[in-house]
Amino acid sequence: MTAYILNLLVLISVYAILSTTLNFIIGYAGIFSLAHAVFFGIGGYTAALVAMHVTPEFFVAVPVAMAAAAVTSLLLALPALRVRGEYFVAASLGLQVLAVTLFSEWKSFTGGIGGVIGIPAVELFGYPVYKPWQFLLMSLICLTIIIVIIRTLVHTSFGRSLKAIRDSESAALASGKNITVIKTLSVVLSSALAAVAGALYAFYMSFINVQSFMLDTSVLVMAMVIIGGTATVSGPLLGAALLMLLPSALTYLSFLPQTEIGSIQQIVYGMAMVLLMIFRPGGIVSSHPGGSK
Amino acid sequence: MLFLQLLANGLQVGAIYALTAAGFSLIFGSTKIFHFAHGATFAIAAYLFHFALAGLGLHWTFAVAVSATSAVVFGVLLDRFMYAPIQRHEGSFFTVFVASFGIGIVVQNLLGSVFGRGFMSVATPLSNSVEVMPGLYLSPLNGLAIVSAIICFVALHFFLTHTFVGKGLRALSENPELVRTFGLSPRRLSTYAFALGSLLVVPGAIFTAAGTGINPAVGHHVMLISLAATIVGGIGSLRGAACAGLLIGVAENLAMWKLGTQWSEAITFAILFFFIIFKPSGFFGRATVS
Repeated sequence: MTAYILNLLVLISVYAILSTTLNFIIGYAGIFSLAHAVFFGIGGYTAALVAMHVTPEFFVAVPVAMAAAAVTSLLLALPALRVRGEYFVAASLGLQVLAVTLFSEWKSFTGGIGGVIGIPAVELFGYPVYKPWQFLLMSLICLTIIIVIIRTLVHTSFGRSLKAIRDSESAALASGKNITVIKTLSVVLSSALAAVAGALYAFYMSFINVQSFMLDTSVLVMAMVIIGGTATVSGPLLGAALLMLLPSALTYLSFLPQTEIGSIQQIVYGMAMVLLMIFRPGGIVSSHPGGSK
Repeated sequence: MLFLQLLANGLQVGAIYALTAAGFSLIFGSTKIFHFAHGATFAIAAYLFHFALAGLGLHWTFAVAVSATSAVVFGVLLDRFMYAPIQRHEGSFFTVFVASFGIGIVVQNLLGSVFGRGFMSVATPLSNSVEVMPGLYLSPLNGLAIVSAIICFVALHFFLTHTFVGKGLRALSENPELVRTFGLSPRRLSTYAFALGSLLVVPGAIFTAAGTGINPAVGHHVMLISLAATIVGGIGSLRGAACAGLLIGVAENLAMWKLGTQWSEAITFAILFFFIIFKPSGFFGRATVS
C-alpha cells in the first residue's frame, strides 16, 4: 500500500512539473502548445542514453537532457513567432505528430516502438537513488525548484513583458519590447524544464517507450493546466493531482467495469473540460472568476 | 503501376478529405468557431451508418439517412448547447477550442465503449476491387467517392451563391456586425452553418466505413487532416480547403511509394508546418490575422 501511494506521488510530481512548465507558456505567454509531450520525450530519451552510455549522474544527465530539449524547442518557437491562436495550435499539433513518428522510427535514439529498456538508477554525486521515497524526495525538490524559478520569473520585468505580449502583441511591440527574444526564451525555458520531468520519468520507470510521449499525453497535461486554472501557481498542481488520482479513484468504484476505466477516465476529464469552459473558463483555481481569459 | 494505384487511392481519400475540410472551413469561416469536434461528427456518422447497416440490417438508403440525421443533430446540438453559452460571455478562441476538444475526447471514448475499439468496416458489393489493368485494382467505391464529392461541391456552391441562407452565411463570414444591422440573426445563421457543415462529413464517413474501415480514433485523424487542409487552403476559402484536402490525400498516398505507411500522417504535418511558417494565409487565404 505504501509502495502504491509512493508510486502515485512520484507520478503526480512528474506530471506537476509538466503542467507547471506548460502553464508558463499557456498562462503567461499565451502560447497554446499541444506539443509538450515532445519535450517530455526528448528529456526522457536523452537522459536514458546518457545514463546508459556515459554516466547515470543526475547533474550530468539532466542538464544534457535540458539542453537537447532547449535546442529542439526552437522548432516550436519558430511558428510561435509567426502566428497566434488557431494557427499555432495547428503547428504544435503538427510538431507533435511528426515527433511521434520520429520517436517510433529513429531506432538508434529511441529504440523504436520497443523503447529503451534497462535504464540504470540515477546517481546523486555517486550515490544511487533507487528507493521510492528517495526518488519522491528528489522529484519533489525538482518540482519546488521549478515552481520557484517560474514564480520568480513571472514577477520580474521578463514576466510582465510576457503578459503584455499575451494581452496585446502590438501594444507590447509599440512599447519597445523585443517580442522575438522574449517569446523564444519563454518557449526554450518551458521546454528545457519539461525535459527535467522526462529525465525523472525515465530514471523512475527504468523503461520508456513512445507510448508515454504521444498526443494523448500533451492533451492530458493541457487538461491539467486548464482544469486547474491557467496563470496561477496552484492551478496546474491541483490539476495534475486531480487527473492522476482520477484513475485510481475510479478503480475503487467496483460497479464500473474494470476494462473501461481508461475510457471512463477520459470521458470524465473531457466532460470536465466542456463544463468548465461553459461555466468557469478560468479553471478551478481562477485568478479572476467568471473572467474570459 | 504502383504509382497509378496509389494515385487512384489518393484521389479517393483526397475527395473524402476535401468534403470534410470544406465542412470545417464553412463552419469556421462563417461563425469563427474553431469546431474541433468536427471529427467527432465524422466518427458518429460513420459508426451509426455501420450500426444501421450491419447491426440493424436496414436498407442502405435508411442507413445513409440515419447517418446524415445523426451528424446534423450532433452539430446543431453542440452549437446550441455548448458554443452558444460559451460565446455569450465573450469566449476567447481558446475557451471554444478546449470545450470542443473535450467533447471530441468524450465522443471517441463513448464510441469505443459502445462499439468496441477495433477496426470495423462494412462489406458491400461496391467495395470489391476489379483488376482494371495489370496491377491496378479499382472498386466502384473509388469512383463513387469522387463523383459524390463533385456533386456535393456543385450543390454547395449553388447553395451558397443562389439561396438566401447561403448568401447570409457568406455575409456572416465577411462582417457579422453588418449581418446584425441588416436584421438577420447571426445565431440562427450559425445553426445553419453547423447543420450544413456537419452534413458535409456524411459522404466521407460512409465511404470510410465501407472502404478502409473505422475505429473510434478516426474522428481525431480526420480532424487533424481537415484542420491541415483548412489552413493550407486558406481559412475561409472553401475552394482552398477542397484543393488542399485533395492535395493532402494524394500526397499521403504517393508518400507510400517511397516511404512506409507510418510516414503518411507525418507528411501531411510537414506540409502544414511549412505552410504555417512560410505562408500562413494558405493558397487562397486573405491577409492573415495575427
